Amino acid sequence: MRRFLLTRLAQAVLQLFAVGTIVFLLVRLIPGDPARAALGEGATEEQVAQTRETMHLNDSFVSQFFGFWGRLFQGDLGTSLLSSRPVMQDLPDRLGNSLELVLVSLIIAVTLGVLLGRVAATRADKPADHALVAGSIFGISLPVFVVGTLLLMVFAFLVPILPPQRFTTPWQDPVAHLQILILPVVTLTAASCAVITRMTRAAMLETLSADYVRTARSKGLAEQRVIKDHALRTALLPVASATTVELTTLIGSTVLVETIFGWPGVSSLLMSAVGQRDYPVIQAVVLAVAAVVILVNLVGDLVVRALDPRAEEA
Amino acid sequence: MAPISRRHLLAAGGGALGSAALAACGSPVNLPSSLEEVTPRPGRPNRGGVLHFGLSTDPANLDPHVTTGAASDLLRQLTYNALLQYDGDGEIIGDLAAEFGWADDTTYEVKLRPGVRFHDGSRLTTKDVAFSFRRMMDEKTAATTGPLLDLVEEVEAADATRVVFHLKQADSTIPFVLANPTANIVSQRWIESGADPKTQVMGTGPFRFVERIPGVSTTYERFDEYFEPDLPYLNAMVFQPMSDDYARVTALRTATVDMIDYVPATHVDVISENPRLRFASDRSFGFGFVGFVTSKPPFDDVRVRKAIALAINRPSVLETALLGHGQPIDGALMPPAFARYSGSLDNTMDHDPEQARFLLKKAGQEGLTLPVVTTSTYSVIARPAQAMLPGIREAGVDVRLTQQEWLTFRASVEARSYPVHSWGTAPKFGDPASLSDFLGSTGTFTANTDFKDERLDQLLAEGRRTRDRALRDEIYRDVEQRALELVPMTWTVRRQQGEAHYDYVKGYRHPPKGSWTGVTLRRIWMDKK
Repeated sequence: MRRFLLTRLAQAVLQLFAVGTIVFLLVRLIPGDPARAALGEGATEEQVAQTRETMHLNDSFVSQFFGFWGRLFQGDLGTSLLSSRPVMQDLPDRLGNSLELVLVSLIIAVTLGVLLGRVAATRADKPADHALVAGSIFGISLPVFVVGTLLLMVFAFLVPILPPQRFTTPWQDPVAHLQILILPVVTLTAASCAVITRMTRAAMLETLSADYVRTARSKGLAEQRVIKDHALRTALLPVASATTVELTTLIGSTVLVETIFGWPGVSSLLMSAVGQRDYPVIQAVVLAVAAVVILVNLVGDLVVRALDPRAEEA
Repeated sequence: MAPISRRHLLAAGGGALGSAALAACGSPVNLPSSLEEVTPRPGRPNRGGVLHFGLSTDPANLDPHVTTGAASDLLRQLTYNALLQYDGDGEIIGDLAAEFGWADDTTYEVKLRPGVRFHDGSRLTTKDVAFSFRRMMDEKTAATTGPLLDLVEEVEAADATRVVFHLKQADSTIPFVLANPTANIVSQRWIESGADPKTQVMGTGPFRFVERIPGVSTTYERFDEYFEPDLPYLNAMVFQPMSDDYARVTALRTATVDMIDYVPATHVDVISENPRLRFASDRSFGFGFVGFVTSKPPFDDVRVRKAIALAINRPSVLETALLGHGQPIDGALMPPAFARYSGSLDNTMDHDPEQARFLLKKAGQEGLTLPVVTTSTYSVIARPAQAMLPGIREAGVDVRLTQQEWLTFRASVEARSYPVHSWGTAPKFGDPASLSDFLGSTGTFTANTDFKDERLDQLLAEGRRTRDRALRDEIYRDVEQRALELVPMTWTVRRQQGEAHYDYVKGYRHPPKGSWTGVTLRRIWMDKK
């Protein structure tokens, strides 16, 4: 286990270096000038040139590259070219807001998905199963921006029981925070829950017909115990792997959800930085998100090893 | 070291997940709820309350001398003052200036109001004013107003209350420049102390800066020592960036915010029909235009430029793109609100696909394939660009529109990667002298067309020197006439543009001329409990 952990951590460092380098190169390859963004549309060529100098954009490429990594190794994610704010001043809060959305959605999606998948598998080919399969196909088919916009239209305008409110942290007003959390979480949960439901159903149908389950039944074990301790537990292995993939999908979906619901997460910070070519902010946000994704995958692998002793032996 | 068991691992994983969820809650600034309270004052504007404003952009640069657009100017004018400003009718009035005017053709004098203080409590002096203009004229600042001060020789702090502008030659635009939203006065001591005006704010305005959280909010609170008695009426203002048109309008309609800027044309009717909402707008400033790269074939031939200009069906563009909320520009760019000659050039550029075909044939450009670039980022630019295509195709041109993200579009236009670009903007101020930006050889928008005409440069310089109203009208009519003949760019539609707010928001006016300014936000008050 320890060797596995060390190997994966070394891989994670290499992956982060690769991501950082690619992002560093990509942001400088896309057209658009941060100096232009800082000065507005009426700026003259001379003004833009002067501002590029102030922003150190005329420094050599190599100097900028080593400067970026040098600062990063000292824990400095850089300073926004446009607002002159250290990136660390904004990133933790914004990343936290996004992770809250993602984690709450994931917990609900997994809990509900496993429960519904189990119901569908144990009632295979019955009306409940058909309804759940149809519902999950519907959930997977609907894009996040359609679900979000529909929810907003219905619950903000037609039946205004959840009107949009200003963002409030749970520490400021827990009730208001829960209210504003509902629609974005439902939006994010819909597709993930559908995927996990289908995954659980398929895995359970396989395990329910396995020899060891038949043996358990023939030994006289109660059906609920057979399902819970024998069939579901084994069926959870592929679900655990799928959950890590779903988590990265959820992180990607927050870009749209945060825009629709005005959620002050890391995606809006990234979108704003991309629009203004704020290189240090883009680099820091992408690195932070990459670190989360890498960490999630590592945790996912560890969970699989924890659930399945064979993985550890292998 | 003990081996890591599966049970321990699951427990640790669960704990980490829970900790992450708990830590996952950033905190934007939260004002005390007591600030939301409004105190009724019969016969006078109520005091108190917090105005929540949905802003179309998130201005990253708070420098008082550098604009990144009209939205950033709204913020700037609440925390800083210029020497002059516009009233609700668009007329120039004093801001920090108690008196102002021409002493002679090359000398402009301003007398400061007494008792003006900066947010740090220090007094405003004439030295601060002179320093502020020196900073604007310093190329290192890259000040928006800098190029407009090119005829200023010196700004002199003549005595304790008088500031004198010595000009190299007569310049009729000086009052407009002094009223510009980025011609703000800063404290010399504050700037020289090493403060970073991009992230910090310290002016004389009615509100003082509390905090800016990028992409989330910018918060201002009342400055109690503001020089105008009783102002500001509000306790605080919170600006929330909402760049998406639909998100911004939805936030207003659901009362998440009290006011928004940049009401998109597609939502003007929805907002106007809502009895609780008010729409304050103008039809003078924002306009669309099509620029041609005049240094390369085929647009080095004026006949081709004119053919495209005649092919654009402006009334159709207005209806399709802006749902009729605006006016087609088939003549002078300057609207009647600030150019008396405007009407005399109407119908010069009517839709005439037959004439366009004829001109293209004469220029040997029949069946021309035309790549056009525009931006997808702003609907007020993208929609007119899309709507003009059928008209151009009617003239037998195979027009192909490329839509790019804003900064990519800007880079394409500057690199002249496309022979034609479709853009939208507003004049820097409501006077025909602002035509220089589009027609003068050193104009910021002219630069993208490689256009240069000596006669136009002469006329523009002459207009700038002249203060006689009738003579200026004559000069600028000639400028616009010549622009319609040479067509370095062609104007398309003037859009209705403005802000929307709830009926309980009082005191706001959108000036119909003068400048696209939100300076009357300083006088807003809330008629609600």
